[in-house]
Amino acid sequence: MLEYIIRRTFQMTIVFFLFLIFSYLLFNAIPGNAFSSLLLNPNLPPDAYQRVLEIYGLDKPLFERTQMYIVNFFKGDFGYSYKYFPKTPIELIAERLPRTLMLFSIVNIVAFYTGFFIGKVLAWRRGSKAETWITVTSVFSYTVFYPWFALMMLWVFGYKLGWLPIGKFLFPEKWYDAPFDSDVVFTSMIKFTVVVSVIQFIAYLVTRGIESLSLRRNLRFGSLLAIFIGSYFYWNNGEALIQKPYASDIAYHMILPVMVVTVVAFAGTALLTRTTMMEVLKEDYILTARAKGISQKRIRDRHAARTALLPVVTSFIFTIVTIIDGSVLTEQIFSWPGMGQLLLQSVLEEDIPVAMATFSFVGVFALIAHLLADVSYSYLDPRIRIKSQG
Amino acid sequence: MSKDVLVVKDLNMHYETLSGDVSAVKNVSFTVKEGESFGLVGESGCGKTSVAMSLLQLQADNAKISSGSIKLDGLEMVGMSESELREVRWDGISIVFQGAMNAWNPVIKVGEQIREAIREHYPDNTKVENTEKIASLFKMVGLDSSIMDRFPHELSGGMKQRAVIALALSCDPKLVIADEPTTALDVVIQDQILKEIKKVQELLGLSLIYISHDIAVIAEMTDKMAVMYAGSIVEKGPTSEIFANPQHSYTQSLLASTPSVVGDKVKLNSLEGEPPSLINQIDGCSFAPRCPNRTTTCHPELDMELVEVGPEHFVDICSANRN
Amino acid sequence: MDKNLNQDLQKELRREALKRNWRLFKQSKLGMIGLYIVIFFLFLALLQPFLFITGIWNKGVYDPVVGYDTIKDTLLVVECPKEYPTEKYESYTDCPAKGEVNVKKLYMAPGVEVGDMYETFIQPAPPSRTHLLGTDSLGRDIFSQIMEGSQVAFILGLLSATLGVGISTILGTIAAFFGGRIDAYLMRQSDLILMLPSLPLLFIISAFAELKVWHLAVVLGVIGGLGGSVITIKSQALQVKVKPFVDSARITGGSNMKILFSHVLPNVAPLALLFMVFSVTGAIASESVLSFLGLLNIDMSWGIMIYLSQTDGFIFSGMRYWWLILPAGLAVTFLAGGFYLVGRGLDDVFNPRLRKR
Repeated sequence: MLEYIIRRTFQMTIVFFLFLIFSYLLFNAIPGNAFSSLLLNPNLPPDAYQRVLEIYGLDKPLFERTQMYIVNFFKGDFGYSYKYFPKTPIELIAERLPRTLMLFSIVNIVAFYTGFFIGKVLAWRRGSKAETWITVTSVFSYTVFYPWFALMMLWVFGYKLGWLPIGKFLFPEKWYDAPFDSDVVFTSMIKFTVVVSVIQFIAYLVTRGIESLSLRRNLRFGSLLAIFIGSYFYWNNGEALIQKPYASDIAYHMILPVMVVTVVAFAGTALLTRTTMMEVLKEDYILTARAKGISQKRIRDRHAARTALLPVVTSFIFTIVTIIDGSVLTEQIFSWPGMGQLLLQSVLEEDIPVAMATFSFVGVFALIAHLLADVSYSYLDPRIRIKSQG
Repeated sequence: MSKDVLVVKDLNMHYETLSGDVSAVKNVSFTVKEGESFGLVGESGCGKTSVAMSLLQLQADNAKISSGSIKLDGLEMVGMSESELREVRWDGISIVFQGAMNAWNPVIKVGEQIREAIREHYPDNTKVENTEKIASLFKMVGLDSSIMDRFPHELSGGMKQRAVIALALSCDPKLVIADEPTTALDVVIQDQILKEIKKVQELLGLSLIYISHDIAVIAEMTDKMAVMYAGSIVEKGPTSEIFANPQHSYTQSLLASTPSVVGDKVKLNSLEGEPPSLINQIDGCSFAPRCPNRTTTCHPELDMELVEVGPEHFVDICSANRN
Repeated sequence: MDKNLNQDLQKELRREALKRNWRLFKQSKLGMIGLYIVIFFLFLALLQPFLFITGIWNKGVYDPVVGYDTIKDTLLVVECPKEYPTEKYESYTDCPAKGEVNVKKLYMAPGVEVGDMYETFIQPAPPSRTHLLGTDSLGRDIFSQIMEGSQVAFILGLLSATLGVGISTILGTIAAFFGGRIDAYLMRQSDLILMLPSLPLLFIISAFAELKVWHLAVVLGVIGGLGGSVITIKSQALQVKVKPFVDSARITGGSNMKILFSHVLPNVAPLALLFMVFSVTGAIASESVLSFLGLLNIDMSWGIMIYLSQTDGFIFSGMRYWWLILPAGLAVTFLAGGFYLVGRGLDDVFNPRLRKR
C-alpha cells in the first residue's frame, strides 16, 4: 500500500510538471496579452506599452519565460498578479477559496446525502408508483440545462417571491461599519463547520463499538443534541456574537445557490445509487440477513447500501474534483466572488500568474482526489487489494 | 415421547407469474419432533426450497401462502406480521442456505455478521459475552476464533460453510433448516461438513430439517424423511422403514438410481423424462406419465392423499393400493 | 466450402441477437420514452429544411437567423396615473395593461390622443397561427430557431460523442491489452486531461480559434475521448482480456492485433455504445453552456436563444414572455434527458443483472 502511494506520488509529480508546462504554453498561445489594451489608449505615450512589457518580463522569449516560471514555481514564487498588482496569486486564492469551499462543501455534502438516501429508497421500493415519479424527477434534474434552471430559480425566489437575495454573497450596506473583513467571517464559519463535523464523526466512531443498538442510537442522537446546544452557546458568546449578524447575512445569501446546485447535483448520486443497490439486492447475503431477522431498514442501510456505496463514493470523489471547475458557471450566475470567478477572470484577462496559480491549484486538488479515490476504494471494499500498476 | 417442535399442516404456496400461478407447494404436512432430524428429498424444482422458504416466510415477493398452517412450538406462523416474524427468524428457526459461498456479505467481517444476528435477538448482551459465544460456536464447528476478524473472501469454501453453521446456531434456534448445505463443496469437505452437522445436532439435541436431492445423504443424516414430487409429499415415514420398504414408485426409482457402495454391482436405473410443469393443475397421480412400473392395480385417477401403510409410514394413495 | 454457410449463419445469429436486444429494450418504459423524445427532435431537425425546400416556409420570414416578420397589433392609448392604486390599476406594474399603450411612450407619433386606437408592430410577438412559438425581439421565428437548434445539437452531440468514444475505446483497449508502459502513459495522459478545468480550457481554445459547430464537436470529442472514459473502458477491457475465449484465440495462434480487433474490441463495444449515448448528453450541455456565455461563433443554437433572452432581460420579466424563455431551455433539457433515458434502456439490455425477472 505504502509503496503504491509512493509510486503514485512520483508519477503524479511528473504529470504535474507536464501540466505546468502545458498550461503555461496554452496561456501564452492566446493572442494578445494582459496589457494589449494599453495600445488602444491614445493618452499614453507610445513607448508605455513596451515599458510595461519589460517590467513584467513579457518581452523575453517564450522558452526563457517558461523556464523561469517553472523554476520559480518550485521555489514557491508565483509572481504578482497583473491586474491586482501588489497582490500575489496566493493572496488572491486565500481570499477567494474560503467562499467557494464554504458554498460547495455544503452543496456536496447535502447533495451526497439526499442523493444516496433517495437512491436507496428508489431501489428498495422498486416497481412502485413513487419510484417511477421520483425517477422521472431525478432524470429531469440530472439533465436540466443548469444555467437556465438557475436563472429561473433566481427569478422565482429572488424576484417573483422576493424571499431570497439575487446574487452576491452579502448586502454591502450591512457591512459598511463592520469591524472586520468578510473573509474573517468566512474563515470562522468554515472553522465552525469543520469542528462540528469532526465532533460528529468522532461521536460516530466512538459509538460504533457499542453492542446495544438502542444505546448506540440514543448516544448518537445525544451527540447531535449536544452539538446543537454547543453551537447555540458558541454563536451567542464572545467574538462569535459580534460576527453572528454578518455570518447570518452570508448564510442567507447562500441558501439559493446551495438549493439550486443541490437540486442539480443530487440526481446523479441518486440514480447511481439506485442502479448499484438494485444489483446488490439480488445477492444471497441479503436473503441471509432477512433470515437472521434483521429489520428491513437495517438490511437496507447496512447490508445493501454499504456494499452499494463503493461506486457512489468513487463518483462522489470525482465530483469533488470538479468543485472549482463547476463553480465557474455557478459563481458567474449568482455573482458569487469565489475561485470560479477568479479562474474565469484571470483566463479572460490573461492574468497569467493568477491563472497559472489557480490552474495548478485545481490540478493538485484533482491529483490528490484521484489518489484518495483509489485508496478509499480499497478501504471500503476489502476484496480489492491495490496491485501496483504501470 | 418428545414434543413436536414444528407442525406443518396442509401447506399450499404458489408463485404468481406472468404466465399464470405456479403451485410450488401442495398440501404439504409433516411434523418434526424435538431432537429429531427430518429429511426432505426430491429432484430439483420439486418444491423443497419453496417449503424451506415458506417456513421462514422468506419467499419471493410474488409467492403467496394460500392456505395451511405452520406451528412452531404451538405458535402459528402463517399470518404473522413482519415484526413478529423477525423475532421468530433465527431465534426460532434458522437456516443454512444453498451455496453458502454467497451467504456472507463481502464487506463485513465474519464475526460482525454473526454478532449482528445475536444482537438482534439478545439486545442486552455485552460485547464480551457475544464474543465468547461466537468463539465457542466456532470451536464447536472446528474453526479458530481468530476467523471472527476475517473478511469472507479470506476464507476457504469449507471454512465459510462451517462458519455458516456457526451462524445458524448463534441464537440457539429450536429448529435448523439445512438447505443443500454441501452442494457447492468438494466430496471430502462435503463429508466433513455432514459429520459436523450430525455431531452438532446430537450434541445440542437440535431439531433439524435436512433438504437434499441426494437420497444417500438423507439416509445418513436423518431419522425421518419425506419424498417430494411436483410440490407434494408422495411418501413419508422413518428413514430406515422407507429405505427397507419403499412404496411409491418414485421413491423406488430414486433409490434405484443411487449407487450402493456395499453389495453387488447392479445396473443403475435412471429415470426418464422431466418433472411436470407446475403451472398446470395436475389431476390424479402427478408421477403417472413418468412411472416406469405402472400396473393395472395402479389408480392414477385418484387425487393425491396420503394413507398409512406401516408404522408412521405414509404413501400417496394411488401407489398405496398397488401391492 | 462451408464458409458461406457459416457467414449466413453468423448473419442470422446477429439478426437474432439484435431482435432479442430490441425486445429487451422495448421492455424498459423509460428507455422507450427517451427514444420517442430523440425521434421527435430528429423529426424537428429534418422538418425545417423540408419546409424551406418545398416553399411552405418563406426563407425571408422564417429563417432562424436573418428572417424577419412583423405582427400588427392595435392598442388602446391610455394615460398612466401618477398615483396608485386607482380604480383600474393596482400598482405601476399594471399600467399599461394588456392591449394598452401609455401615451407618453408615443411622443414620436404626433396627433395621438388618449382613447385612440394605435396600430403598431410588436416584437417579441406572442405565439400565433403564423408563428407557432412567437418571435423574438428581432422578429425571428422561435419555432424555426428551435428546429435549427436541434440540428446543431444532433450534429454536435453525435459527432463529438462518436469521436470521443472512438478514441477512448481504442486507447482504453490498447492500455488494457498491452499494459506496462503504454498503459502507464495513457493513464497519466488522462490524468493530465482530467486535471485541466474544462470550462476555462474551452474558453482558452475559443480565444485563439473561432469555434464553429464542427470545430467544437472535434474539440469536445478529443477532450472527452482522452479523459476519464479511457479509464472506464480500460477497466472493462481488462475484464474481457482474462476471459477464456481470449486465451483460446491466443492458443490457436491469433496475432495480437487479430485478438485485439476481433475478440476484445467487440466485447467492449456495448459499454462503448452506452458511453456514447451518455456523452451525447454531455456534449449538448457543453455547447449550450458555451453559447450561453457567448463564447461560440455559431449563428443559432438553443444556448444562444437562452443567452439572447437573458441579455435582453426577458428572463427576469417572468412568464410574460414565456415563449422566449421556456422553449429553448426545455429543448436542451428534454433532448439531453432523452439521450440519457435511451442510455438507461440500453444499460438494461447490456447489464442482465438488473433485468426484472
